[in-house]
Amino acid sequence: MADILGVVFRRFASGTVTSDVIFPPDAEANTLVLGDVNISRSVLFLAAVTAATDLGLKVLFFTQTPFQSLPSNTFFFMHVHLQNVKLVYVKTLEELVEDIASLHELASPPSLIIVDGLDHYLHRSRVRPLQDDLSPVAHVAALLHDTAAFLSQILQNRADGQGLCRVMVSFQSECEGSRDSEALAPELLLCVLDRYLQVSGGGICQSCVLRWYSSGTWCCWQEVLWSSGSFHTKNGITNLPWLVVHKFNTFGLTFRIKNT
Amino acid sequence: MGSSLLSVAEQLLKDLQRTYSETNQIPDDLLIALRFVFGQCALQALDLVDQRSVTCVSSPSGRKAFQVLGGSGHLYMCFTSCHYCPCPAFSFSVLRRNESLMCKHLLAACLSQAMGLCQQEQVSDQQMTHILSGQTEAST
Repeated sequence: MADILGVVFRRFASGTVTSDVIFPPDAEANTLVLGDVNISRSVLFLAAVTAATDLGLKVLFFTQTPFQSLPSNTFFFMHVHLQNVKLVYVKTLEELVEDIASLHELASPPSLIIVDGLDHYLHRSRVRPLQDDLSPVAHVAALLHDTAAFLSQILQNRADGQGLCRVMVSFQSECEGSRDSEALAPELLLCVLDRYLQVSGGGICQSCVLRWYSSGTWCCWQEVLWSSGSFHTKNGITNLPWLVVHKFNTFGLTFRIKNT
Repeated sequence: MGSSLLSVAEQLLKDLQRTYSETNQIPDDLLIALRFVFGQCALQALDLVDQRSVTCVSSPSGRKAFQVLGGSGHLYMCFTSCHYCPCPAFSFSVLRRNESLMCKHLLAACLSQAMGLCQQEQVSDQQMTHILSGQTEAST
């Protein structure tokens, strides 16, 4: 389980808000979140504020559209450390790439880079991607990987050998209503994302892919591997114990241990 | 492309780096191994290395990138850390068809890095941002 999301799930377990969170020593670096755009966005934002507050990380959150409202869970955090979360609103893929490319210029680098809705950026490139041209998605994914690796070196040099820059990306693998005949198949895009988010670097970069599936108002996160164009369960575990409940009338998320 | 072949390729580049640093040449067995692992693009990549077509660009922030001047005069910005090149051959043969490990530009960058044959260029941090975002492309 991706370390930061695991902290988020434990903190907001149904009926409790616990401040006793433990940062796992074998922290995974990159996370790819697949599924409904609204749930993914909410989870990413909770991950951002959790990382900033509990883990003291500086977070950059790239998204296309401003937040009209915040998950009610975040009210717990409103008085603490939100200054460590910088929301960056960029409209196009070109603007996103340029902003990521410029991160090496920052005096204080982020420890967590979040890109919300990468699929929407790919569909809104000013230069329409040609059919079968995977260069745009490869460029942004490789740039994220290389930038995170560079910033990790900076953080490690400053923090006595510790410090890691992580990447979290959300991607809606089925874009109903937004695909046209020239758009690339989601499977191809996922393969490319898998290539760059899973590249090992000194044994510290591993990726975690979370895919959600729903039944009515209940959604379940499943930790999977994306390999050879399909999903496979990781380590033989078919389901994570966490359930995400999306309350449709209030913009809030509750996490509950399955079967409890 | 299996992860085992990638591991073999990485080890081959390390062997090349060690051997070249000691002898200043590539022995026949390593050349054969390069041809076997990387296919036709191995010779094309070595041609690019011979022509000193690879430049390691760095900026005051410490950021680095590799620019490879292709035969057509296009300048390609490559990431050797995670294997990326913007050229059409990489997009098709590596990403789309998974037939090759690298294109000739990326392999040339890796070989030049291993053999210490990169040209060096210093740019400003802002110029580096343009290079990394793919906005800078020049021809000879």
